[in-house]
Amino acid sequence: MTRFGKHPDADAADLGAEALRGAVSDAGIDPRAIEAVYCGHVFQGMVTGQRILAQVGLAGLPLSNVENACSSGATAIREASLAIRAGEHDVVLAVGTEHLTSRFRGALTPDKSDPEAAVGATMPGVYAMRARRYMEDFGMTREQLALIPVKNKTNAARNPLAHFREPITVEDVLESRPIADPLNLHDCSPVTDGAAAVILMSDQAAKKYGNGQPIRLAASALRSGTVDVEPTSMTFEPLTWATAQDAYERAGIGPEDVDFAEVHDCFSIAEVLRVEGLGLFEQGEYPAAVERGEADIEGRLPINPSGGLLGKGHPLGGTGVAQVVELVRQLRGEAGDRQIENARVGLAHCRGGKAVGIEGAACTVQILVR
Amino acid sequence: MTESAVGVSFRPGELEVRPDGSGNLLGSRCRSCGAHFFPVRQACSGCLSDDLETVGFSTEGTLYTYSVVRQSTPAFDVPYALGYVDFPEGVRIMGQISGCELDEIHIGMPMVLSLEPFGEDDEGNPTTGYRFRPAEASSD
Repeated sequence: MTRFGKHPDADAADLGAEALRGAVSDAGIDPRAIEAVYCGHVFQGMVTGQRILAQVGLAGLPLSNVENACSSGATAIREASLAIRAGEHDVVLAVGTEHLTSRFRGALTPDKSDPEAAVGATMPGVYAMRARRYMEDFGMTREQLALIPVKNKTNAARNPLAHFREPITVEDVLESRPIADPLNLHDCSPVTDGAAAVILMSDQAAKKYGNGQPIRLAASALRSGTVDVEPTSMTFEPLTWATAQDAYERAGIGPEDVDFAEVHDCFSIAEVLRVEGLGLFEQGEYPAAVERGEADIEGRLPINPSGGLLGKGHPLGGTGVAQVVELVRQLRGEAGDRQIENARVGLAHCRGGKAVGIEGAACTVQILVR
Repeated sequence: MTESAVGVSFRPGELEVRPDGSGNLLGSRCRSCGAHFFPVRQACSGCLSDDLETVGFSTEGTLYTYSVVRQSTPAFDVPYALGYVDFPEGVRIMGQISGCELDEIHIGMPMVLSLEPFGEDDEGNPTTGYRFRPAEASSD
């Protein structure tokens, strides 16, 4: 993957090509072994994946561009895994890229056709409302919520590819610029450019090209949000829950077996909702668990050791692929200063998009096993 | 609101505006199972029936949650309050909050639908949209 951050001299194809070359180099294969490509992005325009391949001289391959909001990159990985499981291909590349600084400033909003966008919905505003309700329902304090960006930016300081490399304090969070009450600037993931790529192989190809111990994709689950028949609590995520149950069943692994997770912390409150929706922590209990250090890299169940979206950055299409890169690095024992001890099972969760009347839009849960 | 100030609905499929300035948010009611949806749907997600009728919702509800948006957006001046209101039909609808100070807003407060000037259409004509205001402050 590329360094995440602001890349004024590159575009989405440049970044995607850099990530692709890194993945090929890591796998130690001839790039001509790649049989198919899936490219996840959101705002980069038509045929972004083809523009990536043109940069690196790979022509003629079957390629699909995949859009699923912030789950686009993760969806590209799932499509790659399906192509292998179907027996169609043995070596497939999934790349996710986004040059977001050239597309957006400030708050992301739902598509302008959406009735909620028409009355002023912004993504920070929606998550702020969920934070407010969670505080009301479960007694979470503002200081407890601030501990999540503190944790994730502290982790990011240990990740050389992260957007932010400076640890912060609770006071920094509380004194940062108000965005949507109760969320401040440090509660929000940044506008980031970046790309990541992974190569998936069949068992047969892994034996042929194997460079050490392969990491197994034990499950890759994808679900869409269901239309609300009646209003449900906005402090619990049925979509995250359903997608996780699908992944746990496919992997034959339960939440109690997960050693660490990368979850979609687009906002501080989002990390709370994700880990509780995944069944990794009981509902209402995560803020206190963070306070006790349970989610730290050295804790019982590390959450977002890479720095997460808050610290590592959030280039929409790149995000889901970068999560899987982090899982692989941790499971191989190659995570350097942020290495988790004895990590055997890692989980990656993405959730993206907003549309009126549905509880979440696109959600992915992937489980990787050493 | 006087009749002369009534613009056309900013989104006619979602907000009915009558000449006297009154109106309702519009959605679907399933004739088969009774579920309600906002906005209008083509089929019921509860029972999958496509026997739906378009109905106007109650104008009184309860504030489920809210936020004050302070980061500027291209479309709206900040700060503005945003909230979700639960209506008796079983729908939760987002809107801006007007008619009170920002620090008076609280979860659980009774709200009423308020039709208000809301931007312009593509030809520059004023349009009418909606906000929610506290029920106790809505006697005007």
